[in-house]
Amino acid sequence: MIEIVNVSKWFGKFQVLDKVNETIRRSQVVVICGPSGSGKSTLLKTLNGLEEFQEGDVIIDGISLKDPNTNLNKLRQKIGMVFQRFELYPHMTAVQNITLAPLKVKKMGKEEADQKAMALLERVGIADQANKYPGNLSGGQQQRVAIARALAMEPDIMLFDEPTSALDPEMIKEVLDVMINLAKSGMTMIVVTHEMGFAKEVADEIIFMDQGRIIERGTDKSFFENPKTDRARDFLNKILL
Amino acid sequence: MGGFDFKVIVDNFSFLMSGLLTTFQLAIIAISGGLILGILLGMARLSSRPYVYYPATVFVNFLRSLPLILVIFWFYFLVPILAGRPLGDFLSASIAFIVFEATYFAEIIRAGIQSIPKGQMQAAYSTALNYRQMMGYVVVPQAMKNMIPSLLTQSVIIFQDTSLAYVIGLKEFLRSGSIVDSREVRSLEIYAFLGVVYFLICFTMSTLSKRWERKKGSLR
Repeated sequence: MIEIVNVSKWFGKFQVLDKVNETIRRSQVVVICGPSGSGKSTLLKTLNGLEEFQEGDVIIDGISLKDPNTNLNKLRQKIGMVFQRFELYPHMTAVQNITLAPLKVKKMGKEEADQKAMALLERVGIADQANKYPGNLSGGQQQRVAIARALAMEPDIMLFDEPTSALDPEMIKEVLDVMINLAKSGMTMIVVTHEMGFAKEVADEIIFMDQGRIIERGTDKSFFENPKTDRARDFLNKILL
Repeated sequence: MGGFDFKVIVDNFSFLMSGLLTTFQLAIIAISGGLILGILLGMARLSSRPYVYYPATVFVNFLRSLPLILVIFWFYFLVPILAGRPLGDFLSASIAFIVFEATYFAEIIRAGIQSIPKGQMQAAYSTALNYRQMMGYVVVPQAMKNMIPSLLTQSVIIFQDTSLAYVIGLKEFLRSGSIVDSREVRSLEIYAFLGVVYFLICFTMSTLSKRWERKKGSLR
């Protein structure tokens, strides 16, 4: 479904991605972890064209991101994304945040879009907050609205960029629960996170990145119990306490 | 001196008011034309295409480095050459003001749009919105809120700046006052009257804009 082939990227002279290769199949949940600056968020953002890359290719359902004829907007309809800092539109209510793209991109009728948005808010457990502005919601609620917003376009793939790292500890669980349900429903997910509990529960594969390279990969057990590289062992010791 | 005599104002009231009308006309043309051109220039300043960005940037920085009075003069002599015939002082002043004020509006608009975090644009793009939709529904409505106070302040400044059209002989409010003065020699009374009128108009405009700003702010 997603093939990342030898992707390299530089910010000026600084190389952020170094020949990254990875294949992700339908309904797989892949967790990317690694120290900050390792290129994991950048890698995630290359998958929906928010970040360009200089070498290699990303192929999604047979469509190449390097092909100049690729319609990025069409591709992005299939890929939802959730951001670390939620990035809800502050001038719109929760429902308006969710319906904007269905209304404008899919040209859906307002009534249908509203109904679908309410169903999604129900699914993430905050239907009662539908008409509030983001500024009046807690971080956990905002992130759940953001997940609903991404799901509103009915994507095949969901990208999560550190979805819980800007949250207060007591709100992490409510967001992770939504993500776990999503994973169990068969959504293809690529998740940059340090939430190893989440990784243990639903990840089919865990990738460890450092300095722009994937230096270790494994299924949950093999990765947690027996990391092969020192960097991964160090990292795990620091975050698993 | 012989004390103040405000009869001079009463006697010349309709003449002075026709000058004030010209001032209003010039200000409205300068604000609306400047805003339209300013939006285009501001967008060009944000463009990633070098052949759009650089000409707009040079244009904006060049004009912002000149005194307005020089630009008014310059257009007064330049426009007839470009147009092939004299266009009159009102039209030539209008063009000078639109072009000059557009560069100030452009910078307000550019800064307002750049004040919106990049993450907002990424979020909009990630839901498959195109550039126009992203700007129209996500960025500009938020930027507007940040820009409106500066746009209103700049409009008040433009209203005051119109008095500089005096130098090319345009009979706006200040000029009509000075014409009356040269006839009646009542400088103190006349300029006091002009000052009070400018003050009342500008103070009212900025008070209204502040009140409106506060009302907008409390909505969020």
